Amino acid sequence: MRSVNIIKFSVLVLLCIVGCILSLLYGGSEPVQAASISSSDFIFWQIRFPKTITAIIAGSTLSVAGLILQVMFRNPLAGPYVLGISSGASLAVAVSIFAGNAFHLFSDFFIGKSFIVFAAVAGSFLVTVLILTISKKINSNIVLLLIGLMFSQICGAMQMALEYFADPNSLKSFVIWGMGSLSNNTNDDLLIYVPLALVCTIALLFFVKPLNALLLGQNYAQNVGIDFNKNRFYLILISSLLTGLTTAFCGPIAFIGTAVPILSRMIFSSSKQHLHLVSCLLIGCIILLFSDALCNSLIQNVSLPINMITTFIGAPLVIYLMFKNKHW
Amino acid sequence: MPANEKITLKNATVGYKKSGGDIAILDHINLSFYEGDFVGIAGLNGTGKSTLLKSLCGLLPLLSGTLNINGIAVNELSLEALAKKVGIVLTERVGGFNLTAYDIVAAGQMPYTGSFNRLNAEHLAVIESAIDQCGIRNHRHKPANELSDGLFQKTVIAKALAQQTPILLLDEPSAFLDYASKHDLFLLLKQLAQQDKKCILVSSHDLDLVLKYCNKILLVSEKGAELLPVAEATQSDTFKKIGGGFI
Repeated sequence: MRSVNIIKFSVLVLLCIVGCILSLLYGGSEPVQAASISSSDFIFWQIRFPKTITAIIAGSTLSVAGLILQVMFRNPLAGPYVLGISSGASLAVAVSIFAGNAFHLFSDFFIGKSFIVFAAVAGSFLVTVLILTISKKINSNIVLLLIGLMFSQICGAMQMALEYFADPNSLKSFVIWGMGSLSNNTNDDLLIYVPLALVCTIALLFFVKPLNALLLGQNYAQNVGIDFNKNRFYLILISSLLTGLTTAFCGPIAFIGTAVPILSRMIFSSSKQHLHLVSCLLIGCIILLFSDALCNSLIQNVSLPINMITTFIGAPLVIYLMFKNKHW
Repeated sequence: MPANEKITLKNATVGYKKSGGDIAILDHINLSFYEGDFVGIAGLNGTGKSTLLKSLCGLLPLLSGTLNINGIAVNELSLEALAKKVGIVLTERVGGFNLTAYDIVAAGQMPYTGSFNRLNAEHLAVIESAIDQCGIRNHRHKPANELSDGLFQKTVIAKALAQQTPILLLDEPSAFLDYASKHDLFLLLKQLAQQDKKCILVSSHDLDLVLKYCNKILLVSEKGAELLPVAEATQSDTFKKIGGGFI
């Protein structure tokens, strides 16, 4: 690896560590004094710690999912949120929460975290496959994004219908989930979330070569010996798992999946996807950790929604890219 | 079967599968191409030159009949094995995602690398020589989407050369090249066919180039596909029709 890249990666790792410290110390209604943390500190170990871990995993999974989608669609603006994949996951979660309350008998089964995870993954997989089918007939990147937008509108409308008929209890729990939050998870939840996310990310290492080949498009990828359909299926599966998992545990989080791979390509002028895979993991962590610290410390005693900060980072980047589309 | 037979089409129908019934473009054709062949594919627009090329490299399955590469049926070959036998140059443009000309040429070595696509000294040497053969050394670090059409075309040809395949299929490679580069390209392909015994098929509307450099012409028309040595081809009615009386 070139020495410039080593320096860049070192800086990213450093920022990641700084982000962890900031999120642990300032990621709540009041700053924690580092000196006063003891092994039995409830706020630190039961609230701050799981939240910081959630930020790390959510940031990296969404970023990597975005990277896969951008390469697969050969569209630098793609991402789980803008293509409506997060909305598909949300809708599936809404259905399972409301169904759980409607059929009291199964409510434990339906509202249990593992079922929500399953529903979110299934929802995101379904939308990804739909979008992919449509994208084969459409060459324009912009039209594809508009179709993704329409998908999220349709999912949103169906969700609204569900919410309208829902009972107040499940409505409240769904609306809070839908705002997106890093602080919904306990240490026990992390025992499901972290290993699953790790497995998906490690599995992705075996798809680095197909990802590089897919940049050349279907025909050339096949001609250099890459089984397009098989690899595309696994890549969709992995990106849906990553998106669905994080959406299940944190709600829909905006723009991270789109913005981080873009930033990664700005920082590293390489087309090698294994490099971007690692840098997306790191940049995703950094952005969510800093966003978390920011939304808790901008206004005293107020915890702003995380989606507000991530949208302020992501949306301008997308607009910037539209203007500067030569370097897509 | 002669040992140097590279591509054989037997009773093959080339076309597209559609839900409302298959669309056959070329029906029941029988063709054989040998090593050292430099075949120009001539035909009017829309007669099926590109479709034929896509079928010959396995990208488009035949509607019926068989395609043998090096004597082996194409559906018995793994994609990786096929990638080491047939290299293609298409008309589509790729770029973006920080892809440079070098990255595209390097992709030609993918069938030879491991699952992490690490390039060793041997791979790098092949890539470098392909870059030199196509004369793009000065442009190799440019972003692929900033290359002119002609330079991009040369880059993709370098990719096909880096693939080190005995068979090369090129779909209108001379379309965007300037006069000198067109001749450079056809001369290079002719050398590859003669010296390296490659089997090369080129579709082109530049009939004068085809006549000057190729040893055979495949005439594609609504009547089917007819493979003739250059001297005979010029006498055929199909060729005169394709030339429109200007050649």
